[in-house]
Amino acid sequence: MAEEQKPAAPKAPPTMATTPWEDELTEQLKRQFGDRISEFTIGLGQKFLVPSPEAVIPILEYLKLEADFDYLVDVTAVDYPKRAERFDLVYILYSFAGNERIRIKTRIAEGYKPATAVGVHLTANWLEREVFDMFGIEFAGHPDMRRILLPEDWEGYPLRKDRGILQMDDRWVKEHLGIESGQ
Amino acid sequence: MPDSTFLDASELVLNMGPQHPSTHGVLRVILKLDGEKVIGTECVIGYLHRGVEKIAENRTYVQFAPYVDRMDYVAAVSNGLGYCLAVEKLLGVEAPPRAQVVRVILTELNRVASHLIWLGTHALDIGAITPLFYTMREREETLNIFEKYCGARLTNHAFRIGGLQYETYDGFEREVRACCDLLLPRIDEYEELLTGNRIWIGRLKNVGILNAEDCKAYGVTGPMLRAAGVKWDIRKAQPYSGYERYEFEIPTGVNGDTYDRYMVRMLEMRQSVRIIRQAVDGMPAGPIMGKVPKVIRPPVGEVYVSIEAPKGELGYYVVSDNSTQPYRVRVRPPSFVNLQSLDKMARGSLVADVVAIIGTIDIVLGEVDR
Amino acid sequence: MMRVLRTIFLFDLIEGLWVTFRYQRPKHIYTEQYPAQRPKVAERYRGAPRLNNNPETGETLCIACNLCALACPETLIVVGSERNEQTRRKELTTFTYDISRCMFCGLCEDACPVDALELTQDFEMAAYSREGAIWDRQMLEEGPRPTRYKF
Repeated sequence: MAEEQKPAAPKAPPTMATTPWEDELTEQLKRQFGDRISEFTIGLGQKFLVPSPEAVIPILEYLKLEADFDYLVDVTAVDYPKRAERFDLVYILYSFAGNERIRIKTRIAEGYKPATAVGVHLTANWLEREVFDMFGIEFAGHPDMRRILLPEDWEGYPLRKDRGILQMDDRWVKEHLGIESGQ
Repeated sequence: MPDSTFLDASELVLNMGPQHPSTHGVLRVILKLDGEKVIGTECVIGYLHRGVEKIAENRTYVQFAPYVDRMDYVAAVSNGLGYCLAVEKLLGVEAPPRAQVVRVILTELNRVASHLIWLGTHALDIGAITPLFYTMREREETLNIFEKYCGARLTNHAFRIGGLQYETYDGFEREVRACCDLLLPRIDEYEELLTGNRIWIGRLKNVGILNAEDCKAYGVTGPMLRAAGVKWDIRKAQPYSGYERYEFEIPTGVNGDTYDRYMVRMLEMRQSVRIIRQAVDGMPAGPIMGKVPKVIRPPVGEVYVSIEAPKGELGYYVVSDNSTQPYRVRVRPPSFVNLQSLDKMARGSLVADVVAIIGTIDIVLGEVDR
Repeated sequence: MMRVLRTIFLFDLIEGLWVTFRYQRPKHIYTEQYPAQRPKVAERYRGAPRLNNNPETGETLCIACNLCALACPETLIVVGSERNEQTRRKELTTFTYDISRCMFCGLCEDACPVDALELTQDFEMAAYSREGAIWDRQMLEEGPRPTRYKF
């Protein structure tokens, strides 16, 4: 379970200790989607797969219809600003029949508009709105792509790592509430 | 055909504003009405957004634990349990058995306390004012136990990463047993007041029906899903913190309407008392804190852990990059996801039913908005 | 037949009302008459902070190690110290605690190695201004002084 560190000068960034995941479900997915899924891994006892961004919605549909993953638990994103493909879009699915959870992680660049999952799972409606609100990832085809938690005319996307917590936008509070800063 | 005037307009837009006694917090619901019937709703949330996920990236793991209580402030212990379980999984430690048993006792007391508030406020919205006082009185007993154990009644910060901070005080077991003995007859009293009451049945039966497929499609969990007939509880499906050792049943409903959700939550309170009794009887001796390093610095990784909070599935997705502060903490709030189904349930019902439906979803705005 | 009678004579409503009437006796009154009767809080209650002194010598127990300031999630403790050249130890000069931002989470109390900083059972901490909520060392050492009301 070691971090991958080279003893000489440039250290590779440490990654999670993982083992490859292979079972019947991965065989089915490989047959169906081929090389659009780049890895199947198990980390800390939890299974996840990394497809390419366009393949996410077909995979969600396939999993819902064929493998009984009928409950979309969460849609969220993580920001890695130093990578070229900045955001890590994460979908967590659960199957009532099989009692197991899997994660689907894709890497998308800034400005890319992933397809919405609302057609497959109705839960994704507000969850994707929140991802848009916090990260600025717009979902193509979403029925109502607006900010959900922050006011409509807020500038900026808080959970991105470009701005720290003390540099958050205070134009809105100055204008609407008349106070110096929200901090 | 005369020209239509504004008097002929059939759609009325009514604002159930953020300041409203029945919205359980600052929730704004814009209702489109046709007379008294609701033809569409829209929820506007975010009035209580405090940026907890952004704060998490700027605090160490131990320092973030008090913030977590303030999301679902009615049932704060469950939030703490979920967070501690997630970080413990990242670190690869497990709390010792005694700590797990005390955690179960406090979490189930917390569940009873949360359902008591739900019952009191829901009955108050419907118009029955008396149960509110009685449930608050019972909640005082559970809050006294929390206060004596960890020092705070509401935002407890009861658990630490790796186990517990405080040993149980003298008389803990005696008081917990006394509380259980007090609760069951009082739950019977609430049922006497409400269950057979024709006004209650008339207001709640066949209101806000959400059947099982819709529940799964909308991602609704918790008592709402169980009232629709799906016998699913994370405590039984993927047990955590020693829940597999206790015997309890999962109450389910039939129709998925508001009355079934009421019955499911009342039965859940009874099952919680049953779990607490078993836990107190079988409490092992031993250490209360696992082997956790002084400075918590989990290896690189990510984990998703979810627990059965009183309101549904509360999940924590924690990403760590081997520093003392988490890289990303995502909280999957049950109230946020359950609230999406308000639109589906409220269409076609009356305005008074919207109040009942908001009450039965059991939302806490601190959790919806984080 | 019984069902018709129960419906006409409002049996289910009377059962509920009977529960309420049972609670009309004065011994069931649960209200606490505050502020005449101050509620007893638990020993571990996390209330107002206090800096403890050594009971025999009267000197402060604080060793100015700054652990409480590092543990606080809100970074509202400021510990000022100067180094005493004779004993080669740090001595406490100023200690500032901001009650208005405090969450009363107890992490500072847990972090203190000598039990100098303690959260007491006092919960009445109102002040007349924002500056009154920033407590300095003297206020912290005096401890809580709840007002007693006489009616």
